[in-house]
Amino acid sequence: MRYVKLPSENFGEFFNFLQRLGPTYGPVKEGKTHHFREVKGVSEMDLNYTRTMLPPKKFFVRPRERLFRLENGWWKEEDGERPFVLFGVHACDIHGLKILDKVYLSDPVDPYYSKRRQNAFIVGISCMPDEYCFCKSLGTHFAMDGFDLFLHELPDGWLVRIGSVRGHEVAWENEKLFEEVTDEDLRHFKEFEEKRAKAFQKELPQEGLADMLDLAYNSPVWKKYAEKCLACGNCNMVCPTCRCYEVCDRWVDAYSSVRERRYDSCFMESHGIVAGGHNFRPTRLDRFRHRYYCKSYFDPSSGFNCVGCGRCDEFCPAKIEHVKVLEEVRGSLR
Amino acid sequence: MTGNPYQSHDARILEVKDLTPREKLFTLRFIDPEINESFTFKPGQFVIVDVRGFGEFPISLCSSPTRKGYIQLCIRKVGRMTKFVHKMKEGDVVGIRGPYGNGFPMENMEGSNLILVAGGLGMAPLRSVLWYTLDTGKYEHVWLLYGTKAYEDILFRDEIIHLLKHGETMNCTVKMAYEIESPSCIYLERGFSERVCRGVVTDLFRGESFDIENSYALICGPPIMYRFVIRELLNRKLSPGRIYMTLERRMRCGVGKCGHCVVGTSVSMKYICRDGPVFTYWDALSTRGLI
Ligand SMILES: Cc1cc2nc3c(=O)[nH]c(=O)nc-3n(C[C@H](O)[C@H](O)[C@H](O)COP(=O)(O)OP(=O)(O)OC[C@H]3O[C@@H](n4cnc5c(N)ncnc54)[C@H](O)[C@@H]3O)c2cc1C
Ligand code: SF4
Ligand code: SF4
Ligand code: FES
Repeated sequence: MRYVKLPSENFGEFFNFLQRLGPTYGPVKEGKTHHFREVKGVSEMDLNYTRTMLPPKKFFVRPRERLFRLENGWWKEEDGERPFVLFGVHACDIHGLKILDKVYLSDPVDPYYSKRRQNAFIVGISCMPDEYCFCKSLGTHFAMDGFDLFLHELPDGWLVRIGSVRGHEVAWENEKLFEEVTDEDLRHFKEFEEKRAKAFQKELPQEGLADMLDLAYNSPVWKKYAEKCLACGNCNMVCPTCRCYEVCDRWVDAYSSVRERRYDSCFMESHGIVAGGHNFRPTRLDRFRHRYYCKSYFDPSSGFNCVGCGRCDEFCPAKIEHVKVLEEVRGSLR
Repeated sequence: MTGNPYQSHDARILEVKDLTPREKLFTLRFIDPEINESFTFKPGQFVIVDVRGFGEFPISLCSSPTRKGYIQLCIRKVGRMTKFVHKMKEGDVVGIRGPYGNGFPMENMEGSNLILVAGGLGMAPLRSVLWYTLDTGKYEHVWLLYGTKAYEDILFRDEIIHLLKHGETMNCTVKMAYEIESPSCIYLERGFSERVCRGVVTDLFRGESFDIENSYALICGPPIMYRFVIRELLNRKLSPGRIYMTLERRMRCGVGKCGHCVVGTSVSMKYICRDGPVFTYWDALSTRGLI
């Protein structure tokens, strides 16, 4: 890793440079929540944010996207993907993208996702947790890779970690904007990280979690929460690692049709229905439990399918808390 | 965009044959001769059929890879898209992508006995296995135990009757159980009294002794069938690792992306499309919700 410093007074100019790479998306405050939106200047962004409603996955796995266009009976592939910049992505969301990568970039590669991944220039940014965050307990509070540049806040600027060849190129081209990192900067960096580590209020103990949950398959706790759950699927939409999609063909006029895919949610009754109406997950309990199992699935190479961003808690209308459910289910075993 | 895995290849329907009032057999050939030449698969694999403008759905390959130049799909009319396909005629074109899934490990089973247990439409993928074993001759003895509702529902009826008559000369024993009585069934039962009976597929195990040590079972049928058939096989001391079953789930992508076919819990999650659709009974014991 190479480390450089971006002094506060150069921040604007650096951002202007990034805008030349392509449309730039950053966290913008709208009402009470934050969203990634296209921004034309630093002042439009609110970098002091905890989480956006939709995670940056929306730039890679689109809520709704066109796969093909059918004309006179033949498929035409859609084109038109351009380079873009994602500015101000938090460590947990970078980990979320890495989990999506495992799925979409494994053989056979999803060409739509892959192209956008290659087109994206990702600038990470440090953050402070709120009462919903539990990424530290999952080890996703710090990103070692998966970004081009990562900015860590200093009193008078940013400590920049360079995480890719393209990151190096950008730093190289803008050499005049960067300075060497001093011992004092390092001290500030360390202080910030220590303060941050202490600020977490929530944790999900990982030890034996996957097995405990499996053993608690018939726990009454699942049922208790499944009854509270409204099956709205919000938690799926906002989760940076949820990725189920549905595909449908739609006629746009009498001669042409399109094949689209859009987010699907495992809370929907139709998710497991097959021919003749047989449903492999017929009850809300089955579907509720399935989501928790999916999020808690442990892959030795990428960890859990949850990065602890706290979105599902913040945006759940039934106020169901992810960690609480899992802890109670685990507790019901004792 | 090259190498788009969601892009299907055009295939022309060479023949449409009514198998039953609900099922038709489609014989297809890829229009691109290169694809037609290189397309191969394993029994138990499936393809995604693309009806442009209407959607896609998964269907097992029911022909055998030993017979080149065409593929066959047995499609039951159950809903919107399958109804549409049933209206198609010789010469019409559909898209095909695949083959997908793991298929049966045919090579590992060479030299052994195979016990094929089919219920209803489960006959489709097992017909591929059956043809494969007969064409290659690399298997000791093959049993086909086939459970069907009524005479009209017997899939590949001509082939089944042919094997009832002549199977033994090819080391192949076909047995059939039907549920609804009819004059045709009684006629069949009279003709092949030892091999055709009224009942369910597990009744066909009665009085049959398999050389269990040297056998594999391959099962495909409706969800409720598995438990009963597996119990029968375990009672006969067939090892769980030698019991293969092929499963069905809702599928959209067929390649492990869309998430619809995922089953299991936090310790073991499987994609039916990619890790299956063929699983052993060991898999079922370690992955909840598989059967
Ligand atoms: C691995 C595999 C192999 C199969 N092999 C065969 C076969 O050899 N012969 C055969 O007749 N059928 C087979 N099926 C079932 C077949 O895919 C369904 O009958 C078909 O998708 C129904 O589509 P429909 O639009 O006519 O039905 P509808 O009942 O109208 O379907 C409603 C919706 O559910 C979807 N749907 C229903 N069942 C499935 C399913 N199993 N997977 C994905 N989506 C589904 C449909 O696409 C549709 O959008 C197989 C299924 C799987 C998973
Ligand atoms: S499950 Fe909840 S906390 Fe975990 S990554 Fe998804 S939205 Fe974030
Ligand atoms: S957001 Fe809450 S209420 Fe809605 S489906 Fe998820 S857990 Fe249930
Ligand atoms: S069918 Fe899409 S993941 Fe299996």
